Amino acid sequence: MTGVLPRACARAALVLFAVAAGVFLLTDVLPGDAVLARTRGGAGAAELARLRAESGMDGPIWERFARWGWSLLHGDAGTSLLSDRPVSTLVGERLPATLTLAACALAVTVPLLLVLSWWAGGLAARSYGGGILAAAAAIPQVVVAAAAVAVFSGLLGWLPGVSLLPIGAPPWHEPALLVLPALSLALPSAAYGAGLLSGSVADVRTLPHVGDAILRGVPRWRIATRHALPLLWAPAIRVVAVIAGGLIAATTVVETVFGYTGLGELLVSSVAARDVPVVQAVALLGAVVVVTGGVLADVLRGVRA
Amino acid sequence: MHRRQFILGTAALAAALVAAGCSAPSAENTGEAGTLRYAAVGAPATASHDPHGGLGNESDAMRFALLYDVLTVPGEHGTQPRLATSWTPDESLTNWRIELRDDATFTDGEPVTAADVLFSLRRMQEKAAENYGRMGMFDLAASATKGQHTLRLVTHKPFAEVGQALESATFIVPEGSEDFSEPVAGSGPFRMESGDAEAAVLARNDDWWGPRPPLDTIEIRAIADPQARADAVASGQADVAGSVNPAAARTAEREGLRVVHRQGVTVYPLVMRLDSEPFDDERVREAVKLAVDREQLLDTVFLGQGAQASDLLTPADATAPELPARTRDLDRARELLAEAGHGDGLDLTLKTTTAYPGMDDTATLIAEHLKPIGVNVTVDVVPQDTYWTEVYAQEPFYVSYLGGISFLDVARVALLPDSPTNETAWGDNGWAERFDEAMAEKDEPKRAELLGALQRELAEDGGYVVWAAGDGLDLARPGVSGLPTGPGFQRLFIDQVRLGSR
Repeated sequence: MTGVLPRACARAALVLFAVAAGVFLLTDVLPGDAVLARTRGGAGAAELARLRAESGMDGPIWERFARWGWSLLHGDAGTSLLSDRPVSTLVGERLPATLTLAACALAVTVPLLLVLSWWAGGLAARSYGGGILAAAAAIPQVVVAAAAVAVFSGLLGWLPGVSLLPIGAPPWHEPALLVLPALSLALPSAAYGAGLLSGSVADVRTLPHVGDAILRGVPRWRIATRHALPLLWAPAIRVVAVIAGGLIAATTVVETVFGYTGLGELLVSSVAARDVPVVQAVALLGAVVVVTGGVLADVLRGVRA
Repeated sequence: MHRRQFILGTAALAAALVAAGCSAPSAENTGEAGTLRYAAVGAPATASHDPHGGLGNESDAMRFALLYDVLTVPGEHGTQPRLATSWTPDESLTNWRIELRDDATFTDGEPVTAADVLFSLRRMQEKAAENYGRMGMFDLAASATKGQHTLRLVTHKPFAEVGQALESATFIVPEGSEDFSEPVAGSGPFRMESGDAEAAVLARNDDWWGPRPPLDTIEIRAIADPQARADAVASGQADVAGSVNPAAARTAEREGLRVVHRQGVTVYPLVMRLDSEPFDDERVREAVKLAVDREQLLDTVFLGQGAQASDLLTPADATAPELPARTRDLDRARELLAEAGHGDGLDLTLKTTTAYPGMDDTATLIAEHLKPIGVNVTVDVVPQDTYWTEVYAQEPFYVSYLGGISFLDVARVALLPDSPTNETAWGDNGWAERFDEAMAEKDEPKRAELLGALQRELAEDGGYVVWAAGDGLDLARPGVSGLPTGPGFQRLFIDQVRLGSR
């Protein structure tokens, strides 16, 4: 146990730093900047330079990155370069919405993912299971969302086709609004996650004690839960962590289709407007989820070892 | 086999239970009585509390129009007083005396004074780069307050339309307001109750000086996707959707919703820069104007919801002249191209984007229309985040956008030599001087005539092909009445909208 946690944390910190630097660099390389986006051609060169200096966008990239990082370490995520509103407000308003949606989606994804990977990792489906999962995971989210809306909202009329969150109430106040967005998120990510996990499942299912259990006639669900699952915790948590992190970014399409105001829309609009402090904050949040899952998996494995 | 079915079945059941758990029965979402829910155009991520910036989000502008008083508003018969009760020039038309109402108060209890007005106008001037120089005609350093409720506004040149220049966007905030990361106090018909810039709840301000608004509350949300706005009304989650697509409007009308037309307010002009080849030759511009099939464009891009145009940028403006309909004449267009030395063809790249629905189709159709006269057009669809910074007001040949602003606004933004975005490089031919002469004309009918002549000249010789003006289409649930139908910023003023039985 000793050394597992500090090592995992150090690795996590390194990854987060790399993500922050990478995203900062990428946003910087994109053509245009926030001042251009804000003035839409309405300002001359001198005016642009003045505005850039005013909002701390002048100077070499490492200096701007250092300034941003230093403020963040002091608990200040900065203000939006587009609307002058604090980044913490922008993110804080949307975080509950995205977390609620991601949690609902995860609640559907995880059991589905486990079942699918068990199926794909079995002998019977070994030749074609992976292919089917890959194909299912490749269906664009917008198609899944459109199909879900067409069936459940258009055809059956059971659920609303848009999900405008109540103002001044928690996102789960109107649970019906969450169903279609959550399903649209869950189906592709369950297929994707199952594809990642099916290899480990296949390995576990060929282990001698699992084969023994099958020969002894132990019921299949008991084999899955008692014999196989304990060995699958670490890879499963890793996969779930990747999916959870991905969900934060993946909500973008679903949020647009359903008019659901969460972090995804914030991320995409902010990238479009080159609103660096907002992009950084949202990207880091996604990275934190993935990395935390990774640390958890490491620690679990460490404990078992 | 049975066991596998059992596992799959259990999982499916679990998934269904979770989904059902997420969807416990909820009350029919119809809102309270007296609450209007408006789904407005806007990107939630860029929603702002600053009423003096670019007003890029309609949801923001609409909220400001309810929270803050403006000096004047557009009306059917010209500019109407609002916070300003009168605006009177001296002989030179450069020195204006503005009288304000004396009974307006901010929500913090302070009276609205001339100092607040001057502060707000000056703040708009400081943000000229963001709002395309909305206050550019005023010399605000030379302007001054003259007592509690009077101010003197000085213009750089004689400017007869000060009333119109003060319309709609002159949101008045308390003097000294600096932090706009939260809404500042306003004196408008509504006040901020809860929510934030991207989704706000406004409650009636019973202390407002004007006619009592019939509604108790108005909810305004920024929704970027036009289809999502339309669906919000169709599913009963909103009462009004601003600016929906023609196709969505058609569907909604069949389902019993009401479509409110704001006539001829959307144009996607084809821009040809006069200082770039080959458009520096007026024969080439005329050939393009003759070759586009305006009828097909109107039918395809706006689904016929609008009117064909003859290159007038602001056909809905009160001073717009009547121009004869342009008819397609390919033979004449070919002749003109040959005269201009392009008899053996011409290769052009036409830039467009997807910022507004149908801008890409416009370019594709125009490319087809120009083929028969020997112009080979390559269409380049640019993502909207680079369109505004790299194409708009920079490229020589692209599809542009105008959302129903007045002729004076277009002139200020795009037609004069010092305009921030003079996208066609227009105005060197004495037009700018004639514009100044029109603005120095005191007699209103005479001025309207001069302005009409200026627009005619621009339509005939300029670098804009305005093939049609599409209607602005808003969607409303039955029972909503009093929605604005006028052009331009009139759509923002929804304080007198009513709700009948749903």
